[in-house]
Amino acid sequence: MKSVFKNKSYDYLLFLGIFLILLPLGYLFDIVSITTISLWGRYFCFAIAAIGVDILWGYTGILCMCQALFFCMGGYGIAMHMLLSASGKGVYGSAIPDFMVWNQVASLPWFWEPFHGFPVAVLMCILIPGLFAGIFGYFIFKSRIKGVYFAIITQALALATWLLFLRNETMMGGTNGLTDFKMLLGFDLSTSATKFGLYIISCFVLIAVYIGVKQLVKSKFGKVLIAIRDSESRIRYTSYKIQNYKLVVFVLAAIIAAVGGMLYVPQTGIITPGRMNVTASIEMIIWVALGGRGKLKGAILGSLFINFLYSIFTTALPGSWLYVLGILFIVTVLYIDQGIIGLPNQIREYLNKLKTRKA
Amino acid sequence: MSTPKTILEAHNLKVAFGGVQALDLSLFKLKENELRVIIGPNGAGKSTFMDIICGKTKADSGKVLFNGNSILGKTEVAIAKQGIGRKFQKPSVFSSLSVYDNLLLAYQMPKDVWSSIIFRTSPAVSDRIHEVAERVGLEDFLNIQAGSLSHGQKQWLEIGIVVIQNPKLMLIDEPAAGMSDAETAKTGALILSLVKEHSVIVIEHDMHFVEQIANEKVSVLVSGKLIMEGTFQDVRADERVINSYLGRAI
Amino acid sequence: MLFFKHIYTVIALQVTLFYFNLRIYTMKVYKCIVTCAMMLFSIAFYGNTNDDLTKLMSSDSEEKTEALRRLIEAQDLAAFPVLSAINDKKLFVYGGKLVTLGKKTTHNNITVYELITLYPETKGITDQKNKSLTLDNVDLKEITFSRKDRLSIIPLLPFINLTSIDDEVRKLAYTQFQNKGDYSTLKRIEKAALRETDEGLIRFAKETILSIRLQNATTENVQMDLIQKLVKNKGDNNLNILTTFIDRPELDAVFKKKVKIQISSIENRSNRIEWVQNLFSGVSLGSILILIALGLSIIYGLAGVINMAHGEFMMIGAYTSFCVQELFKMTSATGELSDFFFWASIPLAFLVSGLFGLLVERLILRKLYGKPLESLLATWGISLVLIQLARTIFGDLTSVKAPSVLSGGWEVVPQLVLPYNRIFIILMTTAMIVLTFLFLYRSKNGLRIRSVTQNRAMSACLGISTKKIDAMTFFIGSGIAGIAGCCMTLIGNVVPDMGQTYIVDSFLVVVTGGVGSLFGTIAAGLGIGQLTKLLEPVFQAVYGKVIILGFIIFFLQFKPKGLFPAKGRVADD
Repeated sequence: MKSVFKNKSYDYLLFLGIFLILLPLGYLFDIVSITTISLWGRYFCFAIAAIGVDILWGYTGILCMCQALFFCMGGYGIAMHMLLSASGKGVYGSAIPDFMVWNQVASLPWFWEPFHGFPVAVLMCILIPGLFAGIFGYFIFKSRIKGVYFAIITQALALATWLLFLRNETMMGGTNGLTDFKMLLGFDLSTSATKFGLYIISCFVLIAVYIGVKQLVKSKFGKVLIAIRDSESRIRYTSYKIQNYKLVVFVLAAIIAAVGGMLYVPQTGIITPGRMNVTASIEMIIWVALGGRGKLKGAILGSLFINFLYSIFTTALPGSWLYVLGILFIVTVLYIDQGIIGLPNQIREYLNKLKTRKA
Repeated sequence: MSTPKTILEAHNLKVAFGGVQALDLSLFKLKENELRVIIGPNGAGKSTFMDIICGKTKADSGKVLFNGNSILGKTEVAIAKQGIGRKFQKPSVFSSLSVYDNLLLAYQMPKDVWSSIIFRTSPAVSDRIHEVAERVGLEDFLNIQAGSLSHGQKQWLEIGIVVIQNPKLMLIDEPAAGMSDAETAKTGALILSLVKEHSVIVIEHDMHFVEQIANEKVSVLVSGKLIMEGTFQDVRADERVINSYLGRAI
Repeated sequence: MLFFKHIYTVIALQVTLFYFNLRIYTMKVYKCIVTCAMMLFSIAFYGNTNDDLTKLMSSDSEEKTEALRRLIEAQDLAAFPVLSAINDKKLFVYGGKLVTLGKKTTHNNITVYELITLYPETKGITDQKNKSLTLDNVDLKEITFSRKDRLSIIPLLPFINLTSIDDEVRKLAYTQFQNKGDYSTLKRIEKAALRETDEGLIRFAKETILSIRLQNATTENVQMDLIQKLVKNKGDNNLNILTTFIDRPELDAVFKKKVKIQISSIENRSNRIEWVQNLFSGVSLGSILILIALGLSIIYGLAGVINMAHGEFMMIGAYTSFCVQELFKMTSATGELSDFFFWASIPLAFLVSGLFGLLVERLILRKLYGKPLESLLATWGISLVLIQLARTIFGDLTSVKAPSVLSGGWEVVPQLVLPYNRIFIILMTTAMIVLTFLFLYRSKNGLRIRSVTQNRAMSACLGISTKKIDAMTFFIGSGIAGIAGCCMTLIGNVVPDMGQTYIVDSFLVVVTGGVGSLFGTIAAGLGIGQLTKLLEPVFQAVYGKVIILGFIIFFLQFKPKGLFPAKGRVADD
C-alpha cells in the first residue's frame, strides 16, 4: 500500500510542484521571465495534444499521421476569432483582417462569420475537427483500413489539407498563416499578466484532460482499446463492433488536439500551415513514443521533454535539430520501446536478465 | 428424448483462392450439443470452412444456415452475436491485459461504446469469470498478464474467452497444437465437458487427441471436399482416408 | 541618292508553300562582278557585300563607317548577322574572319566563349578534333564602332533579328510581323525564310508570310485560299490570326461562316492535341510514381515495412548523379562535360542507394520485423537524418545538367511536342518494370523473394536464408529508388527534400495497388497519374490532390486491400 502511494502521488506532486508553485513563484519574484513561462505554457498545449495521440496510438494502436491537422483546426479557429474581435483595429482599419485586404477580398467569407462571438467560436473549434474526424474516420474504419494503410491515408490527408491551407484563395492566410492578434475576451495578449493567465489555464486544462482521459482508459472502454491493439480479430469475434470504438477514439483524439491548438495560438501569436504538415504530425508521435506509449504520463513527459530539447538545440546548435530528432526516432523505436517512463523498468529487466545469465 | 435439432448446416459451399478450389462442400450438418471433429491434411480447407462460418472469409457460392438463419455475408460481429464463438489456430488473446480482463471483455453483456464507458463490475460478473477461469484451469492466474502465460495456458484462456461468451456453437481450431501430453489430455477433457452446453466443431491433427475427444462423428476433408463422415473407428479403417491422409500422418 | 546605286533585285519566280523552290536572278548595277553562292537552303551574295565586310576590319575608321553605311543600304540578309553583332558590341576578328561570341563557359575562373563565324554563314568554329573552339575574350581583336554608327543600324533591327543565331529570337521576330506587314516587309521575310532549315521555323516563317498576305488580300477567293493554307500549315498562331481576321467589319456573313468552319477545325485540332498532351503527362507522372513505388511495393510485400525513407533513397540517387557530374567536370581536361556522365551515373545510383538501403535494413529494420508501425517511425527518423545530411553536405540547390540527347522534344505533329526527358523516364520505367518482373518471376533469387513474401516461416524451413533475402530485397528496392532519383534530375533540381515531392503519392499507389503486387502498382500508378492530370486542368493541382485522396478512400471502401489483393489464408495475419 505504501509503495503504491509513493509511486502514484510522487509524479503528480512533482508536476504540480514545479509547474503550479515553483515556476509561478519564480515569475512573481522575477527569477523566471515571462518568456519562459509562456514557453512552458505552449509545451502544455503540445502535451494536451500528445494525450490525444497516446489514446489513439498508445492504447488503440492506430498510427495517425494527421493529428497536427486537428491541432491546427483548433488553432486556426481561435485565431479567426481573435482577428475578427480586433476588426477595425488593423493597419488598414478595415472590418476584415489585414491579409484579406492584401488579397483584395472585399467582404468576409461566409465561413468566417461564426467566429465573431467567443462561445460560438470555441464550439466551432471543437465541432469542426470533431465532425471532420468523424466523417473521415467513419469511412476509413468502416472499410477496415488499419495499420500502415491508415498511416498512409492520414499522411496523404495531412499533405492535402496542408496544401489547401497554403493557398491564398482558401482565405486562411496562405503561407503566412494568421497572426497579429490583439485581444482575447478583452484581455490584451501582449501583457505579461495575460500570458501568465494563459499559462495557468493551459496547465489546468492539461490536468483536466489528463484526469478525464485517465478515467476513460481505466474503464472497460479503455480495456477494449487495449484489446483492439493486442488482437483486433479476437475482439471482433468477441462481438465488439470495433469500428465504433475506433471512431470514438479518433474523434476524441481530434477534439483533444484541437483544444491544445486553441490554447496554443493565443500564446504564440501566430499559426501557419507549417504547424500542420506531415512532419508536425509525426513529431507528435515521437513525443509519445519517447515518453512511453500507452501511458498518459509518458505522453506528457515526452512532449515536454522533446520540446524543451528543441528550444535548447535550436538556440545552441542551429541546424542540428533534425539530426537530434531523427536519431531520437531511431533510438526510441529500437531501444526504448517503453519510453522514458518505462526506462527504469526496462533497466531492471535487463539487469535481471544479466543476473540469470550469469547464474 | 426427441431427435436433437440441427444447429448448423452448409450446402454447396464453395470458395476458391487464386484458382485453387479451397473448399467445395456439398453438405455438412451439425446437431445441437454434438461434438464434431474435422480432420484432413494440410490445405484441406478445414480452417477455411471455419473462417466462412464465422464471417472472416467470404464464400463464392452456397449457403450456411445457423439455427435456420442464413449467416453468409453477415459481419463477424453479427455472427458472433447470434452465438458462434471462434478459437483460432494461433492462440490470440489480449496479451497486455490480465487474464481477468481478457475474460471480462468476452463476458456476455452489451458491447457498444457507451455501455463500455459506463460499465461497472458486479459480483455476478466476477463470479462468472472465476467460474470459467476455474474451468479452463486459470483460476490462479487471474491477475497475470495474458502475454506472460505459457502457450498451453494461452490456448486455454482463448477457449475460456469463447466459453464465457456463452455461444451456441463453438469453433475450435487445433486446440492441442504445441501442447505437452498432459496439457493435451486436460484440453481433451475440457472440450468434452463443453458439449453439455454447446455444440462444438473441433479441427485437429493429432490423432491420439482425436481419439480421445471423438465421441460421435468425425468428418474428413480432403482438397476441400468432404470425403467421409463416421465414427473414429470407421474413419480410421476407411481406405480412402488412409490413402489420402492417415497413411501419411500416422 | 546613293541608295539607288546599290540596287540588287531578287525575283522569286516560283514560291510554292510546300517546297521552297526558288530561282533567283540577280543583277548588280554598281559593280559588275556577280557571284552567286548557293548553299543548302540559303543564298548569299558575294561581291560588294564581301568587300564591305572585309573593309569593316580596316583600321581606317572612315572606311569602316562607309562600309557599314553601304551594308545597311544594301540590306543583304547575309550581312545581317554582322550588323547584329555590331549592335550587340560583340564583333571580333579571329584568323582574318569576322566572328562573334557564343555560349559562355567558366573554367578555372577564366571565362571563355565559343566562337561563331558570321559570314558567309553563322556557325560555330571547330578545331581539328571537331570540338567547338573556345577562346578568352582578351585573345580576340574587337572591332569597335562609334555610337553614331551603331545607331544607324537601329531601323534595321527588326529585320536583323530574322537572321539571329538564336531560334527563339527568330521566332519572335517572325511573330512580330504577323499582325503588321506590307509587301516591302514581306519581301525581306521571304528572303529570311529561305535561310531556315528547321521545320518548325519554316512553319513560323510561312505562317508570317501567309498572315501578311492575308491582311493585304482583297478578294474572298484569295483570302479563302490563304486561310486554307494557314490551316494546313498548322502554325502556332493561326488561331490568333484567323480570329483577328474574322473581326474585320467588311466581311460578309456567308464568308464569315466559312471562315468560322476553318477556325473550328483549328480548335478541334488543338483540343485533340491538348488531350494527347494530357494523356502523355498522365503517363509520364504515372511512370514516375511507378518507378518510385516499385521498390516500395517489393519491400512492403516482403517485410510489411513502408519505408518512409524511400524518397530519401531516391534523393541519394539524384545526388549520386550530381557527384558523378562534378567528378567528370573535375577530371575532364577542357572543362567540357560529356553526356556520358549521366549514363554512367544510373548504375552507380542504383548501387549507392541500394547500399544505403542495405545498411538501413541491416542496422535498423532487421530488429523491427513484425512491427510495421515502429518500422515506419524508425524509417521516418532515417529520412530526417538523411535530408539534413544532404543539406549539410550539398547545400540547398544544385542541379544536374541533362544530357544533350534528352533536351528538346519529339515533335509528333506541329504543336504536339513530347519532351525527350519525359519519354526517357517512361522508357526507363518500362525497362525497370520488365527487369523487376524478369527478376522476380524468372530467376532463382526472385523465386526465393516471392516465397519469403508468401510465407516467411515456411521458406526458412525450406532452407532459404530469409536474412539474405531481406537484405537483397532492400538492396534492390532501394536501388530502384536510386534510379528513380537519377531520372528526377532530368525534370527538376536536386534538393535535399526532393524525396518528399512524390513520396506520399507513391505510398498511395502502393496502398491502392495492393500489397506487394507488381500489377497493382503499375495499374494504380498509371491510374493516379492519369487522374491527376485529368483533374489538373479542371481544378487546380491542390484541389485535384484532395479529390484524388477522396477518390482513393472511396475506392478502398470497396476494395480495402487494393486493386490486386493477395488472396488466401496467408494474406491475413
